[in-house]
Amino acid sequence: MTAVAFQGTDARRRAAGNGDALLGVLMVAPIVVTMVALVFFPLAQTVWDSLHRINPMEPGTPFIGAANYTNMLSDAQLGQSWVNTFIYVAIAVSVETIVGVLGAALINQVRRGRQWLLAAVVLPWALPGVVNAVIWMWIYQPGAGLLNGILTVFGLPFENHVWFNDRTSALIAVSVVHIWRMLPLTIVVVLAAMQSIPGHLYEAARIDGASRPQMFFAITLPLVRGAIAVAMTNATVAAFNLFDEAWVLAGASLDTRPVLTQIYLETFQNLHFSYGMALSLVVTIVSLLVSLVFVWRVYHTTRFE
Amino acid sequence: MRALILSTVALATLAVAAPALADDAKPLAGKSITVLLPSPQAPNIAADFEKDTGIHVDLQTLSWDDIRPKLVTALIAGTAPADVTEFDWSWTGQFAAADWYLPLNDVIDKDTVADIGVAKIFTVNGNLLGVPYTNDFRVMLVNKKHFADAGITKMPTTLDELVADAKQIKAKGITQYPIGLPLSPTEGASTSWYLLTKAEGGDLFDKDWKPLFLTPDSAGYKAMALELQLLKDGLVDPASTGLKDSQINDNYFAKGLVSIMISGEPGRLGQFNDPKQSQVAGQVAAILVPTASGQTRSYGLPEALGVPRVSQNQDAAIAFVKWFTSKHFQIENYANGVLPTRTSALDELNKAGKLASGDVLVAQSKTVEPLFEQGTPTWYPQFSSAVNTAINAVAKGQITVDQAMKNIADATQKAMTQ
Repeated sequence: MTAVAFQGTDARRRAAGNGDALLGVLMVAPIVVTMVALVFFPLAQTVWDSLHRINPMEPGTPFIGAANYTNMLSDAQLGQSWVNTFIYVAIAVSVETIVGVLGAALINQVRRGRQWLLAAVVLPWALPGVVNAVIWMWIYQPGAGLLNGILTVFGLPFENHVWFNDRTSALIAVSVVHIWRMLPLTIVVVLAAMQSIPGHLYEAARIDGASRPQMFFAITLPLVRGAIAVAMTNATVAAFNLFDEAWVLAGASLDTRPVLTQIYLETFQNLHFSYGMALSLVVTIVSLLVSLVFVWRVYHTTRFE
Repeated sequence: MRALILSTVALATLAVAAPALADDAKPLAGKSITVLLPSPQAPNIAADFEKDTGIHVDLQTLSWDDIRPKLVTALIAGTAPADVTEFDWSWTGQFAAADWYLPLNDVIDKDTVADIGVAKIFTVNGNLLGVPYTNDFRVMLVNKKHFADAGITKMPTTLDELVADAKQIKAKGITQYPIGLPLSPTEGASTSWYLLTKAEGGDLFDKDWKPLFLTPDSAGYKAMALELQLLKDGLVDPASTGLKDSQINDNYFAKGLVSIMISGEPGRLGQFNDPKQSQVAGQVAAILVPTASGQTRSYGLPEALGVPRVSQNQDAAIAFVKWFTSKHFQIENYANGVLPTRTSALDELNKAGKLASGDVLVAQSKTVEPLFEQGTPTWYPQFSSAVNTAINAVAKGQITVDQAMKNIADATQKAMTQ
């Protein structure tokens, strides 16, 4: 009788287990189907197409192996656009991280009206990239631009200065617009982490006589490292994907041309579709590799052993 | 009684026959098409066409630069971006090679093709791929008042006179930078250089596509050197390195800040002389393009209407192309700044005194040459991109004219072999 009861319980457990497994599969299925249909299949198709010659001006789509990838090595314009992109990434990630953390710390100190301040800070991020770029185009304008106007008020000789006639200032000008747009995201991510730090840690530190900078470096910074890594990953990917700002402010100028603009020109101007696909894949891989450093850092900072 | 019966029968017959007659007059009535054109377009186009043909039009407009990516994206995917689309002269080589557009030879009558001289720019291997609707060629646009205020009574016919006049206008303090010349990495910078190359008495390539601009005594080389000299002499705004031709037209010439548009668009004369759109209305005129020799030259950059092969409404689309390029509509559409492509329409407007600077436009239109004798090549976009990138770099002082010419030739050679 007992054995029969145990058998019955096992059967029920197995049935319940199978039911749970089925429920799990059903719950996971939508995202799996969506990811396969919208991410993995197009990705695999792009990889496959990048190994062919896809040019509507030429008949057929013959297999050409890695030719699209090897051609990149002798593409001088692509080389210049890679250099520009890495400069954007270096400037954007470092400035967004440093200023973002400091900005979050500052906002974290505000007790009244923080939500209004945050709403104002988030505004540039909420605006489309093109809109931001157009606003800054007016600011940078040589004649009646706001920037030249302010500098001229201070007696500096910038009345008709053309910021995009010099490569260094042009790269910085484009970076500033990108940072202006993406900085709020860093602030929001880091601020959320700061707000989750228990207050008693600061109280204990205060009792121990710690100064504000000491508390920042000994408590705040270590506890928001994970959030900073997430923000840096996001900043890196966004900087690799920089397009709108450079296109609106300086068009296809080689001085400021990022690699995404090069992809656009190869694909839609020159109709070299498979070369454009190969370039897109390389950008994705490089972007992922650089981001991987931050993800690896997050893993080691936040893993539970 | 008999009369009553007869009139009743006649009325009943008419009532039955009238819709059938209407259907004969508008055989495609009830159909619907999409049309994609550059902005701006006249607001009454769709309504007028529907009134005339019964075909409903969903007219979409985009800025000129945004149209091509939309077309290419849709066409490569095998879908129609619209039933009728913009078809620029510079796309002819690529789009013909891709076989994306319907040949219109069989549906456009020979008289129309003969009346539209620039139609041959859109004819590849005997296939007419687009019917030109806007007759864009280059003239020089000047602000007559600025010239008069500077004490200049005779308009320039040579490049030397042009430079001298610009210097005089600047010296008199009428405009700080008298010459409008785009130097940004955009198509407008390329087309200005092409015009100056023609003005210097040369061409871009020989019949075997060998570059003709590499030596310092070549026209292309001299044209680039002239552009740089104009910049160095303070006759061109240094900010032009970031300005498109449309920005110089709208924000500088139309506001009286520039006296001469080197690469002037005749279709803009209406805009410049309209007080609602311009601060220099009544002051603007076209002059024949000054050249080194004094013998004017120009080239055509017409835009056409084409029907993608994958359009599902080809009959109605062709009806729109015919209607839009008809003499009647071209004359009407001139009021919207679109210069007719039909010689007959141009003549009629000029005779009626409605064509601003009409005599100059008619005279210049007779000198219009194709930019490429062999037809627009498939690698034109790469060539144009190399040209405007080089111009931009020269203007910024990053490379010399010599290096610029070599860069253009190298990029062209690479594009030809791809």
